[in-house]
Order: sequence, then C-alpha cells, then structure tokens
Amino acid sequence: MDTFAQLLVGGLLTGLVFALVAVGLTLVYGVMDVVNFAHGEFLMLSMYAALGLALIGIGPLLGLPLVAIALFLFGIVVYRVFIRRLLAGPSEATVFGTFGLLVLLQGAAQATLTSDFQSVPNPPLQGTIHLGPIALSQATLVEGIGALVLTASLFAFVEYTETGRAMRALAEDRVAATLMGIDVQRVNGLAFGIGAACVGAAGSLLMLSYPVYPTAGAPFALTAFVVVALGGFGSIQGALVGALLVGLLEVFGGFYLAPELKMVPVYVAYLAVVLLRPQGLLGRR
Amino acid sequence: MTARPHLYALGAIVVLGLLAAFGVRDAVVLDLVFTLLLYAVLGQSWNWISGYAGNISFGHAIFFGCGAYASALCVTHGLTPWLAIPAGALAAAALALVTGFPTLGLRGHYFSIATIAVAALVETFARTTPWLGKANGFELPIASGWAALQFPQKGPYVVLALALFAAVQLATIALERSRLGYYLRALRANHAAAASVGIDERRCKLIAFAWSATMASAAGVLYAQYTLFIDPPSTLALAISIDIALIGVVGGIGTLWGPAAGALVYVVLAKAVALRFGGAGKGYDLVIYGAIICLIAALRPYGIVGTIVDAIRRRRGSIAVGPGAAAETPA
Repeated sequence: MDTFAQLLVGGLLTGLVFALVAVGLTLVYGVMDVVNFAHGEFLMLSMYAALGLALIGIGPLLGLPLVAIALFLFGIVVYRVFIRRLLAGPSEATVFGTFGLLVLLQGAAQATLTSDFQSVPNPPLQGTIHLGPIALSQATLVEGIGALVLTASLFAFVEYTETGRAMRALAEDRVAATLMGIDVQRVNGLAFGIGAACVGAAGSLLMLSYPVYPTAGAPFALTAFVVVALGGFGSIQGALVGALLVGLLEVFGGFYLAPELKMVPVYVAYLAVVLLRPQGLLGRR
Repeated sequence: MTARPHLYALGAIVVLGLLAAFGVRDAVVLDLVFTLLLYAVLGQSWNWISGYAGNISFGHAIFFGCGAYASALCVTHGLTPWLAIPAGALAAAALALVTGFPTLGLRGHYFSIATIAVAALVETFARTTPWLGKANGFELPIASGWAALQFPQKGPYVVLALALFAAVQLATIALERSRLGYYLRALRANHAAAASVGIDERRCKLIAFAWSATMASAAGVLYAQYTLFIDPPSTLALAISIDIALIGVVGGIGTLWGPAAGALVYVVLAKAVALRFGGAGKGYDLVIYGAIICLIAALRPYGIVGTIVDAIRRRRGSIAVGPGAAAETPA
C-alpha cells in the first residue's frame, strides 16, 4: 500500500511536468493547426540555457523567467522566419518541416555542445521530504508544483485575456476570426512564442533533477504528443488530464514491468485512444 | 500522361546498371551504385505512404529493419535468406497495420506520432530481446552463391538491387495509373469530398502503407546479405529514418522519380559530409540534413522533381501549381 501511494504521488508529480511541456504543444496546435515536432528540441535548448545560467551563478529557479523570455523571443523568430512559410504550403510540409527543425537543432547541439550528459553543479533542493509513508525529493516536488502553477497561469491567460480570446477565436474558426479583425500572423506568432516559453519554464524546472544532452528533449516531446492526443488536440484542460494519466502510466509501468519498458503502456494507450476516441478524452471533434 | 517516357528512362537506367555490374571492377564505384539503388528503393517506399498517400512517416527504418532481421534470423537458423523476403514483408506489413489502422483515417499528425512511437518500441524490443541479438545484433555466417544470396564480388549485388529498384519503379508507375492511385490523389485533394463519393480513406492508405513496408523490408534483406552485419543502430535507429525521409523530401513527395533524385543527392552529400567532417556521430551531418529539410519545406515543398515538373508546366503554359496541384486542400 505504501508503495502504491509512493508511486501514485510520484506519477502525479511527473505528470504535472509533462503537462507544462504539453500545453505549449496543444496551444500551438489549437491556434494554427501545426504539430511542432521540434517541441522537444525547444525543451532541450531551454535546458542548456538553464545550465548556462547556472554556470554563471544564476540557479535554475532564479533563471526560469530569463529562460522563458528567451524562448518566447526564439519562438516568435522561428514563427516569423519559418513556420509562417510552412503554413503557406501543403499540410505535409508543416509535418516534415518541423521535423527538419528537430534534426537541425539536435545536430547543432551535438556539434557545439557534445553528446555528454551535463547537470547543474551543486543543484539546490537536494533534500527529501517525508509525508507519512511517502518520501519525495524536494526537487521533484518543486518541479511538480511549479509546473502546475505555470500551467494554470497559461489556462487563465487563454481564458481571461483579450489575446487569449483572440487565440480561442482562431482555434474555433479561422475565417470568422479574421473577419472580426484579428491579426492572424500576430496572434499565431504570440501563440508560438508562448508555446516555446512554456517549454522554457519546463526546461528550467527539469534542470533541478535531470541532466541535459542533445536528445534530452525527444522522450519528453514524444510523451507530450501522447498527452495531447489523450487529452484532445487543442485542449489545455485535456492536456493536464492527459499528462497526469501518462505520468501514472509511466511510473507504474516502470515499476511493475521493467524500467526500459516503461513507455510501452504509454504508447499502447496512445494507439488505443486514437482508435477508440480519436478526439481525445476532453477534445472536440 | 502516358507511361512510355518513364518506361524508356527506367530501361536506360537498367542498361546502365547492368553495364556497371558486369563492366566495372572498381569495388568503390560498385558500392556507390548499390547504395544509390538501395536508397532509391527506400525513398520510393517512403514516398508511397508519405508522398502519394500524404502521411509522413518518421519511423520508416523499422520496415527496413524487418527485412534485415528476417534475413539474419533465417541465415543464422540455417534457412535460405530467400525465405526472409516473404517473412520480412509479413512482419513489416503487420507493423504497418498496427501503426496505420488506428491512425490512417485521421488527420496526418496522428499517424506521424504513431510512427515515432512504434519505431521507438520496436528499437527497444530489438535491443532487449535475446533472440533478436540484443544490442549486439547479428554477424551473418559467410557463404557463397545464389541459394545463400551471398557473393564474393559486388556485381551480383548490384544486379539484385537493380532488379528491386526496377520492380519498385514499375509498381509506382502502375500505382500512378491505378484506381488506388486516383483514390489517394482524390483523398489528398479533398478528403471530405473523396469520402463523400465512397472512397474508404483508411483502407486505401493501409494498402499503400503495407506495400510501402514490403518494399522497405525487401531492401533490408538485400542490405543484410550485402553487409553481413546488422545491429539496431544500422537498421532500426531514428538516424536511418531521418535519412529515408530526407531522400523522399529532397527528391519531391508524390513524384515518380523524386526518390531516385533524392537518393543521388543523399549519397553525394553523405560522402561530402564524411570527407569534410569525418563521418557521422558529431552532429554536423544532422545540421546539414536538417537545414535541407527545413529549406525544402519552406521554399520548395515538392522537392527537386516537383520544381522541375512545375517549371516544365509553366513553360508549356498550362495551369501550374506543382505536381501536388491537386493536393492543395482549401483549409
């Protein structure tokens, strides 16, 4: 029973970090119908950025807003220079174009930063907290809570601000939104920037307990795709629910199967949901 | 359009290839020709699902791997590698069914995500399963002759690769002129309209995908018999899937000669990168490949052959929006 409680809490906390990675993806998909296959590489870049800041004395938590802002600007540049052009082409081009970006960024990281695993030196929050029978590392707890706060803020932003309303309008009906005077390119760019800022924040949090290497983002991205499909493409609440489910599947799978097979239940869940309920658990068709 | 010019071009390539296979002694040149043909087959295999059917596959290496592993398993168990051609094809088609059945009736990204996920599972499976050689892979015992599908010289390998390439090109010419080909084109143009006249999207795309997987598997059998050594990085890894997608994208999705053109570019490029930067593994190759995929996606989404076809149509003064003219879906 203690093991179960331990796994349950661990899974939920892991899931919260997945949620923060996934909301960026689902926001971009909702607004402009693009699945950014380079999303994980954005995460990898922000992990390196957080590492760089840590090396000059700004720890991951203090550096989080800086990395998020940097990624926001990076996202806007990528949209302006690249994604905008993809949107003008056939729909296949947005798929293989963002995949090209994945390959490019992974290669660039490998060429300039080597393939070595690198961690933040002397990371903060190394202690363990005991909640009854459950033992949690402080880092995991801060990661989970930080991710939950940021995910909730993004939801509030999309739900209650004027820009957020414009994003939802674009997601609902692009033509009508344009006719209402919404500047599609501006809102698209903002959404892409905010999506990148989410992984900027997630990358900073992850540096509390994970090492970074050129392909560090790929497994998180793959998980985020599954999360978004489970929750329904374009739905932020769906991403949160999906992320908690995937976090649980992964932690329980890793414990009861074998660590190297922990992704099997996650992928099986993806294929099953896509087959039985393609709009996702909370998505609209 | 008539198929005759394509058949003449294919005939010319076969004659040139046979001349090379029997006339050239230089092993380096023959290796290059073999690699070129093999990659052209893999590119065309990718093109069936990603070009003609319009569903981008990021895990195509696993179908290639099915053939390669089938070959290794047959040979190490004392069976003829010829048996690996149907066995690998069956395994590849089964994987295609698992990946495609849930996703091929939906928007494109569901399929692309599934290809990444299934490829990751298959690679993990091969790396951890004893009877698949785990991370060490297989060394194939040396033999000789047509029954063992192994030869001391490279000439016969080139002949086999040429036969496979010709078969795949003929099949693609047939696809372009078949009912299935027209259905796929209609689905890419407007899948709602196509569905409304009774075209079953999932069924059509599954057929294309199964054939695509079969072709890649056949290439895998030939590859294993040629190198006599296979392991997960050389047959199943994401890097191989990236190479295959690069070939398809560069040549031009949904075009008959695109994969061959893409394979030519890829072989030259890979050699140049290896000469300049000393082989893969340092990331420079990925930077270049990634940049090329990005540039093509943003500027010329129908690749080399698409751009040429477009230019010819413009000169002739017909309505020209690229070979995917019909694929431009109004959103």
